[in-house]
Amino acid sequence: MRSPVLHLTWHLARSSGRRGLQSQLLAAAAAAVGSLVLLTLLAAYLGAGARADRTAWRTPAPDRHGTAIQALTTTYVRDEPITVVSLAQLPHHARTPAPPGLNSFPKQGDWYVSPALARLLRTLPPTQLAYRFPKSTPYATISAAGLASPDELVAVIGRAPTDPTVSKSADRQGIYDDGLTARSVVSGFAGTRRSVFTADDQAAVLLGVGLLVVPVIVLAAAAGRLGAARREQRLAALRLAGATPRQILAMTGVEAAAVGAAGALVGAVAYGALLPALAEVPYGIGTWYVGQLWVGLPWVAAVVVGVAGLIAVSAMSTLRQVASSPLGVAQQSDPRRTRLVRLVLFVAVLVYIRVSTDGSALKPGTLVALMVLFYGAFWMFGPWIVDRLGRVVGRFARRPATLLAARRLSDDPRGAWRTVSGLVLAGFVAGFFTVGLLGIVGFDHRGQVAVPTANAADARHAVGEARRLLRAAGVDATVGTDDEGFLLGSSDGVVARVSGGPAALDTAVTVLQPLGAGRLPYAGAYAEAQDTAVSDRLAQLGTATLAVSFLVATASAGLTAAANVLDRRRTYGLLRLSGTPLRVLDRARVRETVLPLLVLAGGTTATGLYAAVQVNKAAGSTISTSGAVQLAVCVTLGALAMLAAIGASRPLLRAVTADPAHATD
Amino acid sequence: MSAVLAGVGLIKKYGSTTALAGVDVEVGACDSLAIMGPSGSGKSTLLHTLAGIVRPDGGQVLLRGERSEMGVPPAEGWGRIDDLGENRLSALRRKRFGFVFQSGQLLPELPAEENVALPLMLEGLPRAQAVERARRWFAPLGLDGLERRRPGQLSGGQAQRVAIARALAVAPDVVFADEPTGALDQATGTEVVRLLTSVTREQGAALVMVTHDAEVAAHCDRILQVRDGRISNYSQFTVS
Ligand SMILES: Nc1ncnc2c1ncn2[C@@H]1O[C@H](COP(=O)(O)OP(=O)(O)O)[C@@H](O)[C@H]1O
Ligand SMILES: [Mg+2]
Repeated sequence: MRSPVLHLTWHLARSSGRRGLQSQLLAAAAAAVGSLVLLTLLAAYLGAGARADRTAWRTPAPDRHGTAIQALTTTYVRDEPITVVSLAQLPHHARTPAPPGLNSFPKQGDWYVSPALARLLRTLPPTQLAYRFPKSTPYATISAAGLASPDELVAVIGRAPTDPTVSKSADRQGIYDDGLTARSVVSGFAGTRRSVFTADDQAAVLLGVGLLVVPVIVLAAAAGRLGAARREQRLAALRLAGATPRQILAMTGVEAAAVGAAGALVGAVAYGALLPALAEVPYGIGTWYVGQLWVGLPWVAAVVVGVAGLIAVSAMSTLRQVASSPLGVAQQSDPRRTRLVRLVLFVAVLVYIRVSTDGSALKPGTLVALMVLFYGAFWMFGPWIVDRLGRVVGRFARRPATLLAARRLSDDPRGAWRTVSGLVLAGFVAGFFTVGLLGIVGFDHRGQVAVPTANAADARHAVGEARRLLRAAGVDATVGTDDEGFLLGSSDGVVARVSGGPAALDTAVTVLQPLGAGRLPYAGAYAEAQDTAVSDRLAQLGTATLAVSFLVATASAGLTAAANVLDRRRTYGLLRLSGTPLRVLDRARVRETVLPLLVLAGGTTATGLYAAVQVNKAAGSTISTSGAVQLAVCVTLGALAMLAAIGASRPLLRAVTADPAHATD
Repeated sequence: MSAVLAGVGLIKKYGSTTALAGVDVEVGACDSLAIMGPSGSGKSTLLHTLAGIVRPDGGQVLLRGERSEMGVPPAEGWGRIDDLGENRLSALRRKRFGFVFQSGQLLPELPAEENVALPLMLEGLPRAQAVERARRWFAPLGLDGLERRRPGQLSGGQAQRVAIARALAVAPDVVFADEPTGALDQATGTEVVRLLTSVTREQGAALVMVTHDAEVAAHCDRILQVRDGRISNYSQFTVS
């Protein structure tokens, strides 16, 4: 970069006046939002991975020459999972190293709990929780090194090698045990298998990142355009002053990059400052340790540079269009037609999705792949439908504002699509996830507690004992060996049907513990753990994606509206001079966004719902009505926020059209 | 000659610069007036003041057929327009005036005929009728077959002729043109201004045109020379 360019850029940036400063500030604000969102997404992605890795030591890694027995099991209280790790040092073997978070390998009778579990033990009656653990000694605390989240419920218990909880019968048996119950001889805690409750976190975040990256890019592009629209104002003056187009382009790039970098830095600082608050946002197993969400300086630098670069590229490409048109106005003489192939592709993808969701239940992976496919197809389809919408409305429009809006839609369908795409796709994603997957229901396990036993004879014997224990604890229940809800899976055991709320259920699980021969009784949450882990994550992802999309889409709608006003301030100004009411121009601006928003956001949300119903029908589940209501509220709020953002540039419209000297010279 | 628009003792100041230093001017119905003068002499300011776009700091702008908002009318059938509210002024410009600017006044995404029909639709004419009325202007202005073209697909001269059609479509009393040929080459400019003056005359509207081109000004009935915000010379070609 030659120094005259830098010098002139600085001079012009300083002398660009109040309106120039305003649009610089807006662009910087957009860059700040963009980098904050990107860094937050990145933090969630890296943090989810780091966090999941912290759970790996609990699943035993078998070693034939091991020195201890490790048994993992999972018990639920109030439908929240507690990871229980039982450890027994083998006699006459070398000493086993300490597990993460503990000072030493626990001796028989020692037990350690996570801080969150300690709180629960203090607040819940012992008959509902504490009696599941050794009663004698007080417990010590597991430090953060052994935990994935401050909210995690974990217990580590030292046992005798002969204790039933570390016996062979405590190993995984039934179909529900995968990832929840396991037992092995180990020599340390080098396990690599992430817990059921964290294994899908990172993939889900990645999907969210994929869905949000595009809106963030759109936002950065809008910010770049805003700067260029203002720059174009002095394009002619610069030419007269002897600057070459290349120099002007370079100046624009430098200025946009500087503004973008400044904004992105503010976003990065905000990310740093917000880390403690971000760490309080629960995801999956709960809130975060602050350190897990710090992405490191190289990543921060990369995001700042990336956002600044995006804005500079967008500003330069906008200016290039403007500079090449004779009147200095970015007008295409012949709007590029959107071709029918977009519709054909979209329909093909729909048909493909319809065919592949028919029949058998889908794996989450396939589901996500189909969703991404749909997303891509929709990105192709969007401009086409906006173009058609513009033409249909243009044909039948009767009011001037509607006609103007419709003509603008078919003039630049891609631009109009970009403005609304964030909200539209968020509507689809949210429709699909929050409504669809929340409602997965397989067997009905409500109010049931299963106690697995070694064999059928033991089960028959245990029925009477279970009745006695439950009666003694004051729990109203019927007990039998029949398992209509398939809660025992294929193993032998007893099923108690408990009447009463979660407290009664937790009491039953606690008091029936002696019958389990080393295994803890369990309720429906245990059997559904695998499904809920996935569907909960996707539902949370849907909500988060929706919220962030709204934020980003609102910001880019506001910026685009402002940039549009600046782009056409001459025409708007002249129209206003000729007596065209500002009201009409303003209404046209709003309709230009509202029309595609109504049709597309409504349409996609409905499509998302429909897709969710179809997929879930195959999976044998139901629709969640509360999710549907929540979604409708969200989409409405998002649309209103967007309108407010567009309305925010009304004073700008008034200001740039007010001075006849600006319009006519 | 019966006047339709008059400026009396017009004064306009921008900070320390005096753009208009007491100008008296009268525009007759069916009359065409060219305003000439060096750059920065106050031509545009005079046009904007007469058109109710800029409010004068002193003097009055009178329009025949308007009722004054307050006070006694200066003369029977005349009204002051320089003291009207923003909304009334806007409506007045829309209904009684037409405007042709140097460039950039057509909405780029609207076909030519819709650009012309827009002011009619703003007046409440149903769209089909507005477009039908707009189309009638295309043949007389030599724009036959260009009705569905968008401004970007028109030459500079064609775009100015569409702008003329738009200005005249509402049947205004006065057409204001600020450097209508400023972005055109000599030959095209001459053709455009010939059409502008003749069509305006046929419609029975008055024309007030700012230009720095003597050849363009010669198409008008009268020429007003402005210098430093004052009328420095006044010539009349035709006697009416
Ligand atoms: N909005 C304005 N603000 C400040 N000064 C203005 C404004 N409009 C015009 N002027 C000044 O008033 C004088 C006359 O301007 P103008 O009528 O545009 O001249 P012309 O059209 O003859 O070139 C000039 O000195 C100009 O700088
Ligand atoms: Mg001028």
